[in-house]
Amino acid sequence: MASNWFEAPAPVARRVRAYFAPVQRALQQPEIFDPVANGRFDLDAPPTPWIDLGWIESFLRKSKSKSQPLLTGIPASVFGQVRETLEADVSFEFQRWTKLTMALATGSQHMNLLAGTAGGTASPVGTQAATAVAIQAGSTATALILSSTDVTQFSAGSLVAVDADYTGQLGFVGTPIAGAYVRQALSDVDYVRRITFNVGLVAEVNGGTLMLAQPLPGGDPGPEAKLQALTGFVDREGGSFYQEWSALFVIVGSQDERIFLHYPRLQPNVGAEETATPLGERRSGGQQRIALKASFAALPITDALDGERVLCYRSFLPAPHAAI
Amino acid sequence: MQNAKDSFYVALRTRLAALNPSRTILLRGALRPGIVVEEAEAPFTSFPNDVFVLRWQMLNLDSGLPATLAAEECEILYQTCGSQSFGSLDRGRLLTAMDAELVSMLQPQSASKFNFSAEPPVQMLTQVFWDDPTFASLITQRDVLSRLAKVRVYSYQEPGE
Repeated sequence: MASNWFEAPAPVARRVRAYFAPVQRALQQPEIFDPVANGRFDLDAPPTPWIDLGWIESFLRKSKSKSQPLLTGIPASVFGQVRETLEADVSFEFQRWTKLTMALATGSQHMNLLAGTAGGTASPVGTQAATAVAIQAGSTATALILSSTDVTQFSAGSLVAVDADYTGQLGFVGTPIAGAYVRQALSDVDYVRRITFNVGLVAEVNGGTLMLAQPLPGGDPGPEAKLQALTGFVDREGGSFYQEWSALFVIVGSQDERIFLHYPRLQPNVGAEETATPLGERRSGGQQRIALKASFAALPITDALDGERVLCYRSFLPAPHAAI
Repeated sequence: MQNAKDSFYVALRTRLAALNPSRTILLRGALRPGIVVEEAEAPFTSFPNDVFVLRWQMLNLDSGLPATLAAEECEILYQTCGSQSFGSLDRGRLLTAMDAELVSMLQPQSASKFNFSAEPPVQMLTQVFWDDPTFASLITQRDVLSRLAKVRVYSYQEPGE
């Protein structure tokens, strides 16, 4: 009888794929990945609310936790060990420049360059923004209904930001994904749309509806949401805000085994940096790919299972028919 | 290793048939997808146009693992002289189309391993997997354009193989 199992060598893989999900900052609630319920998910369609950020390169994770011996007796000898610090870093390079990858690869808040009005005062984060337009009832995360006059301002290819007006809120702002922390009231009515993660590309204009290429990360817009065109993004070296996201890194082996590295809480721990990789032979003047370099510190959560504080979960789903 | 070679070939053949059903070859009276294994056919008197020819080359074994890893290099050769209706002026386009077909055929970069010596073929426990292809420079001989691509194909030896 033929054997129906085999001794699987160490996984062989080519790449690592990254997924991020927002931490609810006000509630200090990270997103938890369940490898039992979702371990075999389609890599191109991650479970909600995980956002696919594509294949990443130069992935490196490092535990910096330190243990110290507990010495007892005369002469002192090692009685046991205690975990003195709990620290871990993760770094890699994003191969795409998007709102979210830029935000994750910078140390502070990340802003949208809202399309401006003529004659506005020059500013490194964009001139005076054009007036936001109201979003009509019935809009969804992929279909934004505008009035017949407002819709004429947009066309296929427009970039848009969708969120509420700033009306003096303090604390975390951005709906529902926090994009900044406001310590004192600001005067910019567009501030929330400047920092919001609710951005999208208009794929087509269908009557009075803007059809987005991808759903808004924050889901259906609320009744107070307004819309503004944006032209790009900007971040700053400096500032006091730290992004915080839950992360899931997936390595799929050649035999369909899966390794999950789940960090419930990651915060960027360096400022914005890029890496340049020559496309062809290494020579001066050749084309180079500019990748976003990201580096994070892992923050702990308390595991409800046993009350232990942990930074990361490593799960492994063996290859089918592999001996364990 | 034969199961891995057969599985790689059949995976590519199946994918080619779906990608471009019109790329065919008439061999021994049978019309088949336009991809053949050189060592499994009678020697060619002249290299066939507009089909992919697989030629197995180097073999490396890593036996220091729980299951021996075989790495076999497969050369994939193809050529075209264009189509008569365009007086061969489309030979560059047709070769580019074959480049693109090969890239698509190789995705995803794994396939189930089968034992094709059994009837019907028996699915085995592991998968065959491979690297990105490397493409050699295009070769021009009169009106014939040809290309060679290399793919390293990996497989684990299963008990009984």
